[in-house]
Amino acid sequence: MVESPRDSRACGAFERGRHEIRTGRRTLLAAGAAGVAISSLPGAALAATAPTRKRAYVLVLDGCRPDEITPTLMPRTSALRDGGLNHPRATSLPVMETIPNHVMMMSGVRPDRSGVPANSILDRTTGEVRDMDRESDIQVRTIIERLNRNGLTTGTVLSKEYLYGVFGGRATHRWEPAPIVPVSGHAPDVFTMEAALAMVQEHDPHLVFVNLGDIDRLGHSDLTGPLGLKAARQAALASTDVQVGRFVDLLKSSGRWEDSMLVVLADHSMDWSLPHQLIHLSPVLALDPLLGGNVTIADNGGADLLYWTGDPTRLDAAVARMIALSSAVPGVLSAHDPRVTPSLRTGPLGGDVIVYAQAGWRFSDPDQYSNPIPGNHGHPATSPIPFFLAGGHRRVLGRTTSSRRAATVDVAPTVADFFGVGAPRGGYDGRSRLTR
Amino acid sequence: MTPSSSLSRRAVLAGGAGAVAVASAAARAAAAPAHEPFQHGVASGDPLPRAVVLWTRVTPTVGATPGSGRGPRVTVTWEVATDRRFRDVVRRGRVRTGPARDHTVKVDATRLRADTAYFYRFTVRGETSPVGRTRTAPARSSSPDRLRFGVVSCANLQAGWFSAYRHLAARDDLQAVIHLGDYLYEYGPGEYGYGRANTDVRPHAPAHEIVSLADYRQRHAQYKTDPDLRALHARHPFIVTWDDHEVTNDQWRDGAENHQPEEGDYAARKAAAHRAYDEWMPVRMSGTAATGDGTQLFRTLRFGGLAELSMLDLRSHRDQQAATPAPSPVPSPAGGRDGTITGRAQLDWLKQRLRRGGPQWKLVGNPVMIAPVTFAQVPHDLVDPVNDVAGLLPRDGAPYNVDQWDGYTTDRRELFTHIRDQGVRDVVFLTGDIHSGWACDLPYDAATYPLGDSAGVELVCTSVTSNNLKDITGTPARTSSLAVEAVIQTNNRHIKYLNFDDHGYSVLDVTPERVQMDWYVIGDRADRNAGSSWSTSWATRSGTNKVEAVSQPVGGA
Repeated sequence: MVESPRDSRACGAFERGRHEIRTGRRTLLAAGAAGVAISSLPGAALAATAPTRKRAYVLVLDGCRPDEITPTLMPRTSALRDGGLNHPRATSLPVMETIPNHVMMMSGVRPDRSGVPANSILDRTTGEVRDMDRESDIQVRTIIERLNRNGLTTGTVLSKEYLYGVFGGRATHRWEPAPIVPVSGHAPDVFTMEAALAMVQEHDPHLVFVNLGDIDRLGHSDLTGPLGLKAARQAALASTDVQVGRFVDLLKSSGRWEDSMLVVLADHSMDWSLPHQLIHLSPVLALDPLLGGNVTIADNGGADLLYWTGDPTRLDAAVARMIALSSAVPGVLSAHDPRVTPSLRTGPLGGDVIVYAQAGWRFSDPDQYSNPIPGNHGHPATSPIPFFLAGGHRRVLGRTTSSRRAATVDVAPTVADFFGVGAPRGGYDGRSRLTR
Repeated sequence: MTPSSSLSRRAVLAGGAGAVAVASAAARAAAAPAHEPFQHGVASGDPLPRAVVLWTRVTPTVGATPGSGRGPRVTVTWEVATDRRFRDVVRRGRVRTGPARDHTVKVDATRLRADTAYFYRFTVRGETSPVGRTRTAPARSSSPDRLRFGVVSCANLQAGWFSAYRHLAARDDLQAVIHLGDYLYEYGPGEYGYGRANTDVRPHAPAHEIVSLADYRQRHAQYKTDPDLRALHARHPFIVTWDDHEVTNDQWRDGAENHQPEEGDYAARKAAAHRAYDEWMPVRMSGTAATGDGTQLFRTLRFGGLAELSMLDLRSHRDQQAATPAPSPVPSPAGGRDGTITGRAQLDWLKQRLRRGGPQWKLVGNPVMIAPVTFAQVPHDLVDPVNDVAGLLPRDGAPYNVDQWDGYTTDRRELFTHIRDQGVRDVVFLTGDIHSGWACDLPYDAATYPLGDSAGVELVCTSVTSNNLKDITGTPARTSSLAVEAVIQTNNRHIKYLNFDDHGYSVLDVTPERVQMDWYVIGDRADRNAGSSWSTSWATRSGTNKVEAVSQPVGGA
């Protein structure tokens, strides 16, 4: 393998990670009893002597809907929520996709500052549509680096390849995921949790950031979803709940619970569409004399990002035309110019127009074969998420429900507040959910 | 009915321990005039963080009776204090009234403090009114832990005593009372009373169906002399909307079932009814406490970050209800299309209120039921009695209630689609009209439910007195209705609770965790002193859009 950045970008995130280990930028440390592979930054052992017993754990139940955490379906998670500080109004933020919301969790800032507005964008430097799965895609310092600079240690246990990629080598300790399900590109929750437990037991980082991907992956592919049955999805919910229970059990049995704060949330919700409720924008745009051949679409499930690639001086006319044409397509909820809809805060990488689907619809461009999966997110219907704090640390309010709004972007400020490590220049866009 | 002499100006001040006499009035007994100037009590309503509407009606001379158009113009003083003895008066003002507005007084007391209990009273010609109590709403930026409301609807004076109001007045824990309409009825004596025989427990005044402005004023005045309603008005602020009977039965934009050509122009009747309502109710219409400046009733009241209450007007802007044109058994809306129940402007406004930003709970004061209900499998012999309560069409086949949202499905679909598309949670419809208690999920697709999602929940309070199913069938409670309830629930899986038999009131408790409604039932409506007992409780946990049974009511009574 040739060691040039260009080449390392051309391959997958996992391959790039292995490259870091081979070149000595990370050290593959003792694997746990279950054969878990964890790589660490050189000198990590020294940092672990920081004088605090506090521990923060962020568990992301990828794609979980708030109404799915019920005592019957998810008894452990439900009990954890009821015993902690629940935020029933919490939401994902645009675009309601996995990568941007995980980046918001760890950066505490919106995409116009972090540089990560969507899963999939048009990279204008190459003219290609690509996933935002590179370490350099995050343009700000995350809470992970902030903790590291304050002498605390961090760990990432990320089950999805593109999340592993975008957070890269930031954490003191990083799980090298295995095994990976070939099509979905994620590790099953049972292995992810095995890794999280091993990381806590062997390295005991102050912050561990865990993504459990099964609920999302089985939601996307659940063919009974549109019928309301969600058979595969429900099985995933039940099994992920067991994994959450294992994590809580470890914290309690190892005496960490009293020093711990857990933030349990989802990155986005999930919606299901019937096979006939497909939205095709590209044929409509292609036929327009102004737009034809001059628009690129980055597909983000229930959100399409439209990029004007024609004459830059005609951008305003093109945006107006894209909004007008898209809005008239059946199944489209709304189309927005991020420059005049400031609440989006998607920034220049997020497209010139953002088009949202109605609930029960999905984008499939250019044709009906392009997006075969029924489960879907990215549109406003998928913004409600579960979000609660739990744990035995005295700063975590118990048995409380808040009517305040909360969002994925609140995680970093909450963790920063917990450890007292301050805010970035310009402050956080989110707010700490801990009481003063 | 004329004002009872027992209702002197030693009038009702509902206190913590119930009704308490006002000492100050007794002290001036020697100078008492020949008649009582405050015969219709005092009331407050539409609480905002810094303002609340105060209301009374003065009778300055013996002849200045409601609807008479007689009597002098007078100046009335109003005062707001933090204590019941008015040592700490925080606001005071003077207002003129006279026969042009039927001697009613309505002021917006402003510059008050948020989430604060106040006492208020009026003075005219040296005579002081009973003392009322009210409460401002929490500050806009606050995060209340709890809000509690009384919820009532459908109080037909001829059908019995308003014991439900009395029991609510005895509670000390309410922010306000939400009245969902049918505050009064238009009928004359003998037309709609108690039970199957329509016995008048108390006859209406005037003794005929009300049509003119004077009629509506007199009817409002009669209701405001009821001791239980007076006590409730004096104790808690009201948040009201109307349903049909504030004008006449099954009214729509340009007509009503109970309006005949010989009763004159419908528009004039409606205008008279609306004017009397504006004069006699503690409500801001078109955004102000002034009368005669507009009759828009749909409006929003906010209670900090915890809840927002949007009160709907589902009568003034709706198209005519569907009918069954012979020989077709299929109901068809007037004009052959599915009409609007809200009107365009109100539906757009409501969609703006139901949003992800803003307060957590989106409460909607909804005069008629929004949950889809098919009565298809109800035993044929019981369709007519059910029809008396619910107004069903067609008479054969698969009946549904054409007077509620089921008769206006385009509007409902647009509203539910909006909720679903925008990911809106925690929408709770509070409903009256149907003289029965219901707790329902609101499925996007009732056919496949409980597969699929729900747009929110609906909690329906029963009637204060108006007849329900057992009254119409003439059978004992919990007999024939049980079959109807079971059949309806079997065929409507989203309806979790249904009680077609009892009268009473509800208490709504709002916390960040959940919204709970407690149903209380009263004894015999013909018994002036009927007791009250807890019947059932249902709640919706935040984020679930579903109702679930709860084992006990919240504190208080």
